[in-house]
Parts: sequence; structure tokens; C-alpha cells
Amino acid sequence: MSVAAEPIQQGFLRGTLVVAEREYPALLRSKQTGWILLTVAFCFAATVILKWPASAVADLSGSQPREAFATLAYCMLISVVLVIPGFPATGIVREIKQRTMELLLNSPLQRHEIYFGKALALVAFVFTLLAVTFPALACCYAMGGISLPGDIGLLYFLILILCLEMVAVGLLVGTYAGSPESALRWAYGAVFGLVFATMIPWQFMQGNDTIAAQGADIIRNLSPIPALRQLLGEASLNADGLGDTGSMMMRYVIVTLIAIVVAAYQTIRRLNHSLLDRSRSQGIITDDLGASDRWYRRIMFLIDPQRRKKGIPFYMNPVLVKEFRSRQFGRLHWLLRLIAGCATLSLLLTVLTTLGTVDWGVERIAGIIIIAQVALIIVLTPGIAGGLIAGEIEGGGWNLLRVTPLRAGRIVRGKLVSVLITLGLVLCATLPSYAVMMKIKPILEQQVYQVLISLVLAAVFSLMISAVISTFFRSTAVCTSVSYGVLLLLFVGTMAVWANMGSPFSHRFVENILSVNPMAGALNAMDVQGFEDFNLVPRTWYVSGISSVVLFVILQIRTWQLCQPD
Amino acid sequence: MSEEPVVNIENLTKRYGEFTALDSLSLTLNKGDILGFIGPNGAGKTTTIKILVGLSRPTSGRATIAGADCVKDAVKVRRLVGYMPDKFGSYDNMRVHEYLDFFGAAYGIGRKARRARIEEVLETTNAAWMKDRYVESLSHGMQQRIGIARTLLHNPQVLILDEPANGLDPQARIEMREILLRLAAQGRTLIVTSHILPELSRICDQVAIVAKGRLKAAGTLKEVTSQLSQQRTFEVQCLQNDQLQSVAGVLENNLQQEASVTVAETEDIVRFRTGVSDERLSNVLSEIVSGGFVISQFREVVGDLEEAFITATQGDAATPATAGVGQ
Repeated sequence: MSVAAEPIQQGFLRGTLVVAEREYPALLRSKQTGWILLTVAFCFAATVILKWPASAVADLSGSQPREAFATLAYCMLISVVLVIPGFPATGIVREIKQRTMELLLNSPLQRHEIYFGKALALVAFVFTLLAVTFPALACCYAMGGISLPGDIGLLYFLILILCLEMVAVGLLVGTYAGSPESALRWAYGAVFGLVFATMIPWQFMQGNDTIAAQGADIIRNLSPIPALRQLLGEASLNADGLGDTGSMMMRYVIVTLIAIVVAAYQTIRRLNHSLLDRSRSQGIITDDLGASDRWYRRIMFLIDPQRRKKGIPFYMNPVLVKEFRSRQFGRLHWLLRLIAGCATLSLLLTVLTTLGTVDWGVERIAGIIIIAQVALIIVLTPGIAGGLIAGEIEGGGWNLLRVTPLRAGRIVRGKLVSVLITLGLVLCATLPSYAVMMKIKPILEQQVYQVLISLVLAAVFSLMISAVISTFFRSTAVCTSVSYGVLLLLFVGTMAVWANMGSPFSHRFVENILSVNPMAGALNAMDVQGFEDFNLVPRTWYVSGISSVVLFVILQIRTWQLCQPD
Repeated sequence: MSEEPVVNIENLTKRYGEFTALDSLSLTLNKGDILGFIGPNGAGKTTTIKILVGLSRPTSGRATIAGADCVKDAVKVRRLVGYMPDKFGSYDNMRVHEYLDFFGAAYGIGRKARRARIEEVLETTNAAWMKDRYVESLSHGMQQRIGIARTLLHNPQVLILDEPANGLDPQARIEMREILLRLAAQGRTLIVTSHILPELSRICDQVAIVAKGRLKAAGTLKEVTSQLSQQRTFEVQCLQNDQLQSVAGVLENNLQQEASVTVAETEDIVRFRTGVSDERLSNVLSEIVSGGFVISQFREVVGDLEEAFITATQGDAATPATAGVGQ
């Protein structure tokens, strides 16, 4: 009996829908997604309850609903920035790792159908996430004083554009990354850069009429924050009495749509079999090369990664050495490049200080360096420490470590020290610039020491948070995402509260919130504009120091538990 | 005086809540034994192995390696056992010699001795040429060899290899077989799990079959097949091809319903399966010889492991889970 073949149905929309129909339910089915949606819903409900007027007297000025609206708008921004990037970034990498990308690329589906199918599923997820916020915004609207198309509609439009940008960037990152963790690291780094770091130059150049200042003004259009603040009727962040002229929303939408189109084009271009054909070096060893090649490498590399190693000496913790060797950027030559980059950047900023001390002031430059250093810590730490234990479990190395005579404490120490050295070197690279600052303004010596202590604590605190998280999950990607979430909440979330000081948050409340953020302590110690009125040092030291000790104890206990027989 | 067993498992039981993964398993292994530890998926093989290497704690029962208790003397056991899990456990961006250097250092082998030891284990596993290659760039078969090299670093008495031949091509499988036989010849005791039974039957001198957490049969391959098979296979080889049908007739007449007889004319063999006693067989053979047939050989064909495995794992009723191996 012959079976009649069904005609193959074709068409762009059909192919896209086929992919989206598989992706979207898969996204919703995971427990992780359920928890995320529940947490967002809970946070929004809590915000509305906190902001709901206590008295029955109507607020004719509409200031209370606007305060609530502003808080919800920031909550929405933080929620999408924390939640969305992880999904598109890991989607493509997972397909490659699970070898389902081969099946997709060998199917009659076109690569743009695969791309748009994935993007459509992610956009559907974005709508689901935003739908969770509807009740809170509806309550806000019910308070009065808020326009549906002018306020709520525009807010959703802005957030939707931001989400589309994050989806496009995340999918693009996924085509370059070699593992889900690396995809997460780069995606969160890129989003952090687009949303927050793009505003930093303008913060320090606003009001100037130089080309650099104009460039900074253009760059900040990549961030949704200026548009959001304009929508909420607020002045630009830390503006020197200057308001934004023109529609920031329009500028943001235009720049972002261009970025989305470019990212989508590049991603579709990369979606082919070359994604699956990533060969790697078969292991060339410098010692085996000819004399001229050996000399060339000796000149080019301070530490040649391709030289045959002598073996781990008895006084070294083998886990520490293994961590450095197995990390993509852990090898010494990469670390030296990183440190050189940091040192060059910090010295460049210091040169700028000396050239423009009158305009900028040492405090402002110190502010830039502090924020840049903490940004580096936030981007680096979860990527390195997020998979400290989970990565071993996932890769099958944990059981091999468990059957060696190494004790849990030695394993943990080796792993922690390997990350601490990296972070320490990054921080040390900026020491010359602080030395120059002290030379310019000797009175700052005490403050610089306080800044350095705060930064060291920021690094240790971040490391301990990521390391502890890595003992609670079995997937590195999950650990890395959760670590990014917690660190962003700690360092950026608290700064969002600071940005809203006065309306709605009081000075005391902001000070309490900032006490968990060592970066705020550093900015406070350096008397950076906006932080002079707080009293955060040594409060932030105690909070982050004690928390780090507690987290270290938890880490030791968890590792010991994981080393025990099942 | 009997030799002290190297591996001794007594009534090992492991329960996960209501589910019993391992039910009163007992086994003993002597020095130089190669045990083929087989069973269907979820039979309890990996659970047993995990208990032996100290990764899992038994609910009851006891396991010792060279006299060291796997739970109480876990640290000592780690030095006595080399364990290769079914998952390779590689690290990114590490070359083979760096990978082995790390595990050597983890076992506390001094730098100089470690260097020599790495060369030695790579030679043993025919992997010396791979030492500068990145671990993740190696094929599955190559990684398996590096996995065995890693287990040998600290010179363990017992090697426990979970699916070492899994996913290997025929050439790599032959090489793996040679490596394992070489290791056993060095006096090491090997426990090997595999689903490739013909391969296992070529290297193992002992076999243990587990199913649903219980030991179904254990012993040499011949013992296991005879334990499990109700019927044995025999071959009668005739010198003259024209006598084959007549010999088959004699067998059918004497054994009637108790045997199935087939004639393989190209091999000059009459093959039959029967469950009758050796006395009956002796009578039948006498009758064939007295009938004037020229017989060159009368032999029992040792049953294969696959047949024994299927017989052991098909029945629902479990046999007593105690058996001696290598005694």
C-alpha cells in the first residue's frame, strides 16, 4: 500500500510560525520562566500596594499617581533588562550544543525563517512578561492623572522597543558564543553597555560644546533611560540644570531600530553551517617550532600560552592552576592584556584630569574610574565565578575531583583564589591613576584609600555571591544568569533607587538601600556629585564585609555537602 | 591458602525513597580479574560503581577494596581505585599533558615523578602522540584513552571503567581491548561495564549480570551460561558428509521431543540443543559410534554472553542475589 506524500506547504510566515510554535511553548514550559513571571508579578503588586494612597482624599495635582507611575516604569525597565537578555542569548547556543541546529539548517526552513521564528517566540514571551505588569499599570491608571495613550501607551512602546533591541542583540551574541555561559556573559555585558554605560560619557561632558560632548550626546541615545526620564517628566540624570531638547523618545526609537536591523541582518547572515563547523587548534607547541618562529613568539608574547608547561609545583593548589588554564581568558597572556587595557584606560582618564582639571575635577574622573571598575567587576565576576561549582558538575569534572584525595576546602580555596587574582589584577591596573590623583590633590589620600577598600570589598562581595549561587544549581547558564541578576540588582538596582531620591524615595531610605552597594560607598568616599550628602563609609564596608564572610561560610558548607557521598 | 579478595561486596543495598536501586548485591573479585559487569539500563551498575568509588553511600551492606571500607576509609579507597565515569569530564582549553598534570597533582604525585608517570600512562594507552593536543579537540575514542590514562596516574590496584567502549569504532574497540588486557596482565583488577557484550566476552574472565538491582548470575562465562541456560548446544562433526542426515536421525530418535536438531552441511556438523543429563548424552554418543558413523568431534558449544544476558534479564523472578566470582 502506498502512502501519498502530503504536499510541502511553503511560505515565509509558515516557516516562521513552525519555529515560533516550537519555541514559545518551550519557553513557557520551563520552571525558570514560571518563577520569573511570578516574581515580576509579585514585585509589581508590591509596588502598587506601597504606592496606593493611604487617605481617601483625592490628589487633585496627580502627583501621587505620577510617583507610582514613575516607580512602575523603572521597575519595568529593570525587570526586562534583568530577564530578557538571557533567553535570546542562550537560545542559539543551546541549539548548537544540542545539535538541533543541524536539523533546523538541514530542513527546508530558510535561515531568515529560523531567525524570525525564534525572534517571534521571544517577542511573544516579552508580551507575556509585559502582560504580567498590566494589572499594576491599570491600578496606577485608576488613581487618575495618568494618560492612557500619552503615558502608559508610550511607556509600553518604549519598553517594547528596548525588548526588541535586547532580543536582536541576544540572538546576535548567540551566534558568536561558544557556550551558554559565554553567551550570557556577552549578552548581559552588551545590554549593560547599551542601557547604562552609554550614558556615562555624557554625565561628565554635558554642557560642553566640544565634539566629544556631541559624540557623548549621540551615544546616550542608545540608552532608553533619557527617553524614559523625559516621558516621566524628569530632568536628565544628574543634569547640571540642563533639560533635554527635542524628543528623546524619537531619537531612541530611530537609533534602536537601526541597531535592530543591523543586528538582525548580521545574525541571519551568520545562521549557516559555519556555526557548526568550529574547528579548534590541534595544539601547536612553540617548543616544537623552528628557531625563527620561536624568536618571533618570544618577542610578541611576554608569556607564551603555547609553551609546554613544566607541571604544577608542590606548593601550588592544583585547582587554582587548573582554573587558570581551563579558562578561555584565564591564561596569563590574556590577563596581561586585560590589565594593560585597564592600566591604559585609567592613565588616559588621569591625563584627561590633568588637562581638564578646571572643568571636570578629580572627583568626577574618580567617579568615572570607580563606575568603570565596578562595571568590569559586574561583567567579569558572574562569567568566571558563576560556574565555579556548577560548571564542574555540568561538565562531569566534579565526580572526578570527588574521587581524588583533594578536600572540599582546598577545592574551594583554589577556585576562589583564581577569581580573586583576576579581579585583583584588574583593580591593581588602575592604581597608577589613583596615585596621579593623589599627586594632583594630596588631600585626597585618605579618600583614595577608602575608595580602594570599597572596590576590593565590591570585588570580594560579587565573587562570594556568584560562587555561592554556583553551588545551588546544576547548570552553569542558570548560575550565570542568576548571578548577573543579583549583581545588577545590587549595584544597578540600588543606583536606580538613588536616581529617584526625593520622588518617591527619601534621603534616609536611599542611604539605607545604598549601604549594601560598595560602589556607592566608593563614590561617597570620593565625594562624587550626588553622593556627597550620604554617610556610607564605613557602613558599606561592614555590610559587604560581614555578608562576604557569611557567604564564604555558606560556600564552604555547600561544597562540603556536594563532596559527600550521595 | 586462598588469596584475599581485592574487591569484596557484601549484601550491598541502596534505596532512594521507595525505589530500590540495588538489592543485597554480593560479589568478590581477586587480583588480576576482569569483571564484565552487565545489565540493562537502570539495573544498578552505576550505583554499585558509585558506591565502590565513594561517590554514593549504601543504605545497608558493605563494600571493601583491598580491605579498605568504601565508606569509612573513603580517602584510602580513592588512592586504591582508578575510576573512569561514562562521561569523560573534560576541561576547556587544556592540553592533554596539562589535564593529566592537574590530576596527577591532585593525587599528590611530585612534579618530577608526575612527569615520568604521565609519559608512562600515555605509552600504556598508546596516546603519547596526543599529549600536546587540546582535550576537547580529541575524538571520542581518543578521549576514552586519555580517560584511562588519567585513571592510571596514581597506579591504582583496581580500575573501574564505566562503558569504556561506548561509541568507539571497531578499530578503537580493538585497541581498547588490548589496553584492558595489558592492564589486567599487570596484576590490576578491572571492573568494566558495557552494553557491547561480544566485546566484553572477549576480555572478561568473570561476568556478573544485574537486573532491577539484583544479581542474576555471576562467575566465569561458562558458569554463567550454564547457570542461565536450560538447554545446552552440542555439535557432532562427521568425517563423511553423506552420514550427516543419518546421524541427525539417530539423535532425533533417541532424544525425540527433548532436542532440536539441525544439519549444517557446509560445515559437516550436526548441531542440537537439549536439556538432557550427561548420562543420556553419553548413551546417545555410544549409539552413534556403535552405528558405524565416523565422528571426528563431539563438543559442547559454550553459550554466548548475549544469550545469557537475555535469559537473565527476561525472567521476572529474581534468583538469590549472592554469588561468588573468582573463587
